[in-house]
Amino acid sequence: MSFTKCIEILAKYYPSFLLGIRTTLIVAITGTLLGLLIGLFVGGVRAIRLDKTVSTSKRIMKRILDIIARIYIEVFRGTPMMVQAVFIYYLVYTSLVRWDKMTAAIFVISINTGAYMAEIVRSGIQAIDPGQNEAARSLGMSSMQTMMDVILPQAIRNAFPAIGNELIVNIKDSSVLMIISITELMFQSNSIAGTTYRFTETYFLTAMIYLLLTGLSSILLGMIEKKMNHTRTSLPQSDTSFSSISLANKGAKS
Amino acid sequence: MSLIEVKNVRKGFGELEVLHDISFQVDKGEVICLIGPSGSGKSTMLRCINLLEDIDAGEIDVFDQDISELKDINSYRRRVGMVFQQFNLFGNLDVLNNCVLAQIRVLRKDRKEAEARALKELQKVGLGDFVHAYPSTLSGGQKQRVAIARALCMDPEILLFDEPTSALDPEMVGEVLNVIRQLADEDMTMVIVTHEMGFARDVADKVIFMDEGVIVEEGRPAQIFDQPKYDRTRQFLARIL
Repeated sequence: MSFTKCIEILAKYYPSFLLGIRTTLIVAITGTLLGLLIGLFVGGVRAIRLDKTVSTSKRIMKRILDIIARIYIEVFRGTPMMVQAVFIYYLVYTSLVRWDKMTAAIFVISINTGAYMAEIVRSGIQAIDPGQNEAARSLGMSSMQTMMDVILPQAIRNAFPAIGNELIVNIKDSSVLMIISITELMFQSNSIAGTTYRFTETYFLTAMIYLLLTGLSSILLGMIEKKMNHTRTSLPQSDTSFSSISLANKGAKS
Repeated sequence: MSLIEVKNVRKGFGELEVLHDISFQVDKGEVICLIGPSGSGKSTMLRCINLLEDIDAGEIDVFDQDISELKDINSYRRRVGMVFQQFNLFGNLDVLNNCVLAQIRVLRKDRKEAEARALKELQKVGLGDFVHAYPSTLSGGQKQRVAIARALCMDPEILLFDEPTSALDPEMVGEVLNVIRQLADEDMTMVIVTHEMGFARDVADKVIFMDEGVIVEEGRPAQIFDQPKYDRTRQFLARIL
């Protein structure tokens, strides 16, 4: 492998690499966020524990939702994303609409991530002491209010490292989406390697770029995590979901 | 008039019956202390009153209503405050917002009004300077006082205490008991499960001694502590005092 060749390839093909980076980041980031959204919903449903006072019809409904959630999680964790990508892309393309490849890619990575996120969110919720749930309910809050205001904020904070991990995984694993030929980094690298016939150098560069992307994400996630933990322990003007606390503080002192 | 009327209540977990035919009454403004060995069903009884557990047989009437037939459990729970052994403060919110949240969500107060009320109750329990502290930075005694303030913010007509000092270091028990004592002076109706016998003698209008899921005896504190009628009561008191 020659480093001068590497630099030559980079100098000549950097626009292609940049396009690849752009697509990879778009797919990975939106996929992680949409996946988190799916995970919050599916994981939230899975984690709900019904009180004894809940009606039978709601119980049955919860049971059905549980089963659907289980199947969804098992199917999407248990099959390769590459297979999901081709299958779903062609299935929709031939039987429903001629959809755009980028949409298909984001759709696939989102539901794939959602299956993992659902489990992350569920375990995050279940790790919160049930006493807090009882306390909120004893104040008259509904189970939905308790979930949104008390349980989920803490579950997300506790699960943040695992959630962030999914972003890093997605940056790397979005490479399999080249199978439906979106212009992400791996796809771009293949075409560069195909033109230059310099496979080692090209894929070395590709590896370095992935490492750079995941490394930067790692640092960024670490910073966010630190900031989140900071709000929990620091005393002054820390605020979470509410505003105007400083007002009350002034009131308290005057 | 009775605010709480417990009639022939039975409750079991699986095979194990923890409450056998329990009956007692709580009048408005009364302070009842439930005492007895661990596992005697005191906490379970308390949790049934707040519908955190349901009963297998019997009836609990609160505010002249059978609570098993309530349509709106949340608005009932709002009127019956509960303080837990493990405090159960909301870890994601600071002290002020622990007291504000349910006022906004349940009582639909605006934030300003809710904060003013929270501040008033926090000052009452001696924590006016801690509004911005997070629960994880507080001592056990402070946490429990926040939990009491949080319950008071909802204007409860009854307060239930489930061993409020059992998880505390000995030197913090006093500060929490003083707050409860103050509430007793203000004629708050309270049912308190406790192992603090001195406190029960002081503050209770009526003491109920439970053992193995039955009420062994009940009466005024002086009578229970000084002239218990039953050996079981005597033995329990001898062990604990």
